[in-house]
Amino acid sequence: MASQRLPSLVEDDARLDALASYAILDTPAERGFDDIVLLACQLCQVPVSLVSLVADDRQWFKARVNFPSCGTDLNSSVCAHALAQPDEVLVIPDLTADPRTRANPLVTGDPFIRFYAGAPLVMPDGHVLGSLCVIDKAVRPAGLTEAQAENLKALARQVVTQLELRRAVMTRDQARGEEQRAYQVREALRDAQARIAATGDDLDAVLQAVVAGAIQAVPTAEGGVIELLDGDRLEYRAVRGTLAPHLGLRVPLATSSAGYCARTGLPYLMADAASDPHVRRDLVAGLGLGSAILAPIPHGDAVLGVLKLQAARPGAFTRGDLDILGLFTSAATAGLTEATARADARAKDVYWRGLFDRLSEGFVVGEVIRDAAGHVADWRYVEVNPAWGELIGIDPSTVAGRTVREVIPDIENEWVSEVADVVATGRTANFTRRIGTLGRWYEGRAFALDGDRFGIIFLEVTARVEADARRLALLSLGDRLRDLATVGEMTRAAAEIVGRTLGATRAGFGRIEGDVEAIEVEPDWTAPGIPSIAGRHRFDDYGDIRAHLRRGDALVIDDVATDPRTRDDPGPMRAIDVGALVNMPVRERGRTVAVFIVHDVQARIWTPEELSFLRNVADRLEVGVARVRAEELQAVLNTELAHRLKNTLAVVQSIATQTLRGVTEREPVDAFERRVLALSRAHDVLMQKSWAAARMQAVMESVLGMQADLDRFAFDGPDMDISPQAALSLTLLLHELATNALKYGSLSANSGQVRVAWRTEDGTAPALVLDWTETGGPAAAAPTGRGGFGSKLIRMGLVGTRKADLRYASTGLRAEFRAPLTDIQIQVH
Amino acid sequence: MTELHPNHAIVLVVEDDPILMLSLVDFVENAGCEAIEATTVADAIRILETRPDIRTVFTDLDMRGSTAGMALALSIRDRWPPIELLMVSSQPWDAAQIPARGVVFGKPFDRRRIVAAIQRFAA
Repeated sequence: MASQRLPSLVEDDARLDALASYAILDTPAERGFDDIVLLACQLCQVPVSLVSLVADDRQWFKARVNFPSCGTDLNSSVCAHALAQPDEVLVIPDLTADPRTRANPLVTGDPFIRFYAGAPLVMPDGHVLGSLCVIDKAVRPAGLTEAQAENLKALARQVVTQLELRRAVMTRDQARGEEQRAYQVREALRDAQARIAATGDDLDAVLQAVVAGAIQAVPTAEGGVIELLDGDRLEYRAVRGTLAPHLGLRVPLATSSAGYCARTGLPYLMADAASDPHVRRDLVAGLGLGSAILAPIPHGDAVLGVLKLQAARPGAFTRGDLDILGLFTSAATAGLTEATARADARAKDVYWRGLFDRLSEGFVVGEVIRDAAGHVADWRYVEVNPAWGELIGIDPSTVAGRTVREVIPDIENEWVSEVADVVATGRTANFTRRIGTLGRWYEGRAFALDGDRFGIIFLEVTARVEADARRLALLSLGDRLRDLATVGEMTRAAAEIVGRTLGATRAGFGRIEGDVEAIEVEPDWTAPGIPSIAGRHRFDDYGDIRAHLRRGDALVIDDVATDPRTRDDPGPMRAIDVGALVNMPVRERGRTVAVFIVHDVQARIWTPEELSFLRNVADRLEVGVARVRAEELQAVLNTELAHRLKNTLAVVQSIATQTLRGVTEREPVDAFERRVLALSRAHDVLMQKSWAAARMQAVMESVLGMQADLDRFAFDGPDMDISPQAALSLTLLLHELATNALKYGSLSANSGQVRVAWRTEDGTAPALVLDWTETGGPAAAAPTGRGGFGSKLIRMGLVGTRKADLRYASTGLRAEFRAPLTDIQIQVH
Repeated sequence: MTELHPNHAIVLVVEDDPILMLSLVDFVENAGCEAIEATTVADAIRILETRPDIRTVFTDLDMRGSTAGMALALSIRDRWPPIELLMVSSQPWDAAQIPARGVVFGKPFDRRRIVAAIQRFAA
């Protein structure tokens, strides 16, 4: 085989690449090349001519004349030797004689060729791809003429030109094809995306659009499917073409081609299903699967599923198709993400909507209405929730588009001005407010939305507000009852508080007469337009209500027209504007002596809370009345006692005077009379506070006013309550001081004055300090001797402390008295 | 004493308590007047009807039948308008209830003021 050595150029990679670039091997015969070999036969006077292209393992004939096969292996090639001398025509006159060819099978066997001449096919880039050759079965020792050789070379150049032309046309067509293809793919992708966008949040529609688009983009595909991962299986969720019958098919993730693709996360080209290692054999026939391309649908790091296109024949798809498939899986991912987001958003909408509908709070979305000047005088309901209807008592489906003043006529202006303010300032407003016409209280907040819109969320708090009102009413009643001095004032105060608190139309107090036969109603409280029923009424005139009251129970009638005790003839009740009533007994020493009356002109249901409130009011009234009665009795007793005491003191004066009738010196008698008188003055002051205390200045003025005009005294000190003992002591002390001042001191002179000043001193032992200062009279002199009873009283000082500092100055007497404040003031227990 | 002060003013003293009567008469005499005693309202009226020379009545308002004294005072003001009225009482009286020109003193007695008042009326 040494003789068969071929030029090394045969296997040159660059040359082989160049050959491949012409894509000429195994292509059908073409006229251009066939004509050239015909011309070569005639030119060289041979029967056989070939356009031979030398590949790495064979030679292949693009055109041939009188040669049986379209190619041979390289052992049989003569042309291969032509490659070695690109500039010349290789001429071998006797192939049996040439060492390169004598062993060639075509020489040694059929067709027994003997002459060969070949012009190399030298391409413009210098590569030699083969030759244009002529062959004869007879030895031709003369070879070719020079002209024949030149002409053969010229024809070889024509072959090269043909090859060049052919490649140029092919390249152009391929470019056009690719352009067309890319356009198709883009078109298909755009269609798919448009369909995805139009599907909204319908997941299956998104998948369907992706499959349709992929099939459109890869025309060799006959069927398509998106299989979505569901646990350890993949489910056929969107199918098309030959796969259409297989919707819902589930294949195992572990043992299927789609599963392989999903597990690896990589695109996969299944060139031939028959030999594919990953496909499920049992499915191949059923699915009509010859070849397929598969690409994962990624979502972040995870894989949602697989997009697969298939064809019945093997090898229907290329790598390029796999790339196109990638475009569609991306679209699928985007579509799925978008659809999921939209589905989430819709689910959220549904969620919020449900919340809005189920909310126990009332919810209003409203919009303010402006007049020409921009002033807000009303607002319109945009939307309300079902709870709004329950809390307001109006069918919520009827209010959208109407204004609040239409829906709730006579609604308070605050319900409009507040939201106007909220819309104007953007500030949230909290409210607790009543809608008067509904008689219900609401608490909530109003907040700005966009533009002229606002929201109100609220709850009804009528029960709480009314409970608060009742509690406050009881407190207020307690205060009023404590301060009021007569039963009449008390019952009127209670009637007004109860009437206003319960929103009743009449409230009053009536005394029971006889055996619950009649009632004397005191001046009552009434709502505007409701007449008073003060005066006497007979129970039997109003229905069968007497027996109830006799038992001492509260009489409660929600509706006089239906209550069995009054329904037979509700006329008399109606005549005094009573639609509903409560008579709550007030007892005195266990007996019902009065009733507290509450009327409403309308029928109404008296709640247990309201009745309990009334019971409470009646109880307080009982206590208050009892206190007033006790105080009245006490006052009578006090007055009587004071009267008797003073009368008795007058009798004591008389007895003393008569007893001392024989005493010629009248002065001590007179002094005695006046001391008794002074003591009595102290009692007068004490009686004003039921002998519990006295006002200090009143005590002083009372006793000193007995001695001289009060304008001769100057008082200076903090007025305070002092104890009865201190009052008596102070009275006797000042009486003696004033008596002396009249006799010897400043008051003996016309212009003389006395200043009485007192103060308290704080410290460990707080004290009262009282100063008596005489001015404008003669110089004072100490009394001679021990002095009489008067001097003793003065030296005893206040409440017997003996802390008396007496100074006999030239301007007059100056005395200072001290006593512990605790002995002076009232001890509060 | 009447004969000692034949030319002095005559004061009718009305008092149902004999001990207090002693004091009231004392006050009248201290004032240099002559006292005529009546122990009941009826006595007083009878005396007034027979003694037109009485120019002053001095009565206790706290007599049995709590309003008897005041009733007397009011009827004197009605029937004998010129007569001056001097009264004592252990209870406070509303000024509106006191007959015109009447003066009320409290109990126990302030001798100086009572005597001064009798003298003023008698003058």
